Amino acid sequence: MELNINGIQHHVDVEPDTPLLWALRDDLAMTGTKYGCGLAQCGACTVLVDGQAVRSCVTPVEKVAGASITTIEAIEQDDLGKRVVAAWVKHQVPQCGYCQSGQVMAATSLLRQVPHPTDADIDAAMVNLCRCGTYNAIRAAIHDLASGSTDGGA
Amino acid sequence: MTNRLKKIFAVVIPASAVLAAGAAWFVTRLPASSFEKTGSQEEPSAQLVARGEYVSRLTDCVACHSVPGGAAYTGGLKMVTPMGAIFATNITPDRETGIGAYTLADFDRALRSGVAKDGHRLYPAMPYPSYAKLSDDDVKALYAYFMKGVPAVHQENRESTIPWPLNMRWPLAFWNVVFAPSDVYRPDTSKDAQWNRGAYLVEGAGHCGACHTPRSLAFNEKGTDSHSAAFVSGALIDGWFAPSLRNDPNTGLGRWSEDDIFRFLKTGRNDHAVVFGSMTEAFNNSTQFFSDDDLRAVAHYLKSLPGNAQRDGTPWKYEPTQAAVVQPAGRQGIPGAQTYMAKCSFCHGTDGRGQGQWVPPLAGAASSLVPDSSSSINVTLNGSGRVVAAGVPDSYRMPSYREQLSDGEIADVLTFIRSSWGNRQPPVAKGDVKKLREQTVPASSSPVILKTR
Ligand code: FES
Ligand code: FES
Repeated sequence: MELNINGIQHHVDVEPDTPLLWALRDDLAMTGTKYGCGLAQCGACTVLVDGQAVRSCVTPVEKVAGASITTIEAIEQDDLGKRVVAAWVKHQVPQCGYCQSGQVMAATSLLRQVPHPTDADIDAAMVNLCRCGTYNAIRAAIHDLASGSTDGGA
Repeated sequence: MTNRLKKIFAVVIPASAVLAAGAAWFVTRLPASSFEKTGSQEEPSAQLVARGEYVSRLTDCVACHSVPGGAAYTGGLKMVTPMGAIFATNITPDRETGIGAYTLADFDRALRSGVAKDGHRLYPAMPYPSYAKLSDDDVKALYAYFMKGVPAVHQENRESTIPWPLNMRWPLAFWNVVFAPSDVYRPDTSKDAQWNRGAYLVEGAGHCGACHTPRSLAFNEKGTDSHSAAFVSGALIDGWFAPSLRNDPNTGLGRWSEDDIFRFLKTGRNDHAVVFGSMTEAFNNSTQFFSDDDLRAVAHYLKSLPGNAQRDGTPWKYEPTQAAVVQPAGRQGIPGAQTYMAKCSFCHGTDGRGQGQWVPPLAGAASSLVPDSSSSINVTLNGSGRVVAAGVPDSYRMPSYREQLSDGEIADVLTFIRSSWGNRQPPVAKGDVKKLREQTVPASSSPVILKTR
């Protein structure tokens, strides 16, 4: 199976129904993407497929062969992604950090779709779980990004 | 007493005595078995035992005669009827608690006529009206397997909780006269051999009608073969709506090819659906073990059963997701849409089309198109059991949402699903969710899979 991840073509030798998350973590050793529940419940495994946030634990590799996959390892190669990470640092969002690679992916996808999200938009789109309760910091960081005060170099 | 009255009594009393005696004989009599003359048998060949094991996969005895954690075929499965609960029995060859003392003829009577060795009538929860169609050869093989291939386990049967007088079994003798077919499968000479094999498997051994055929007030299946339009036309059973297996364009197999049916029964999934509800067990222990030829025969036969286009109305056609649903702001105004996007869309897709054969579509699925919403509600509350195909557990499974979503949220999200993408069913009632929540339990992620070797 050929997968385009972070702009690089990778060959993985897996069954077509293998979850993308396993291919990333076990076959390609890209462990920035986390495993939380394996049942599409938490969002820790979120990656971008053609710019859309998807949960890699419930995405068969067969479905994304040929698509452009972005993981947390390369999110800063993207302008918007870079700004999101900077805002995350500025607002000191992560606590334990386990859910945060997924949160960053979800936020990037939201801001690409809705550059100036309202609180309601954030509630609707940011449905990843965080055991540490960083929801308020996430909201503040996203508002900050929407108002444009955080640039890539911040 | 006048003479006239005396005369009447003189006739009526003996006459009713004769009638009563006749009825008593009738309701306790042992029905005929083609094996009555078969004396004590010689040791069955290993080949016959193996053949019997295969037949037991076709008939799926283990589905009811085992419980999670219990030894195979020791019974105990609770079946709830409107009158009370009954429990499947021990059918291991233990002489005291199982069927070890059964002769081939006794075994045959239980299997094909629903009469136990001591003459009591079995409840038709045991699908003997279907098994009646089994061939003598298959009955013999099954007997050899149960006597020689299954380990004996001493385990007492559980009494049913049906109260007196409803627990009297003899009226079933009359039920049998009216409702239970009593003849082996007779091939339809106007059809080819593959069709006839399929009919034998679907109507007989596989007893598909036990779940998929609607029952009338007397609990009998409304049709038992291809001549009845009610046969496998879909039925509500144990909180699931077992969909039609006929060619109904929306609610049945109208859009499935023979190959689709074959793959569904062989691997548990295809592009239209993945097994869930009670079908998971039927797949895990039964259909995947059918030979390819037998599965092709089943598919061939099912595709010959006409659907009811009138009942289904306009054939389903895919319609794209409403644009507003995809917008974070837009979907908040549509009941159920936010829950769909947050809980369902990651697997079933924002377009409702699932992910190939791995995650089933909700768009155009029989469960989304059938007026009865039980299956939609049940699978959302309880998730689906683990599908184990050829020994390999599935990668993707529907989780249980009973702890996460309220009755109202489930009703809303299902209303959304059942009215999107060309699906056109009326709203799901919150009360229906509440009722099923009380009556059901979450699916187990450790399924009972019978290992026969
Ligand atoms: S690990 Fe994928 S959603 Fe939890
Ligand atoms: S930061 Fe710990 S789980 Fe979110």
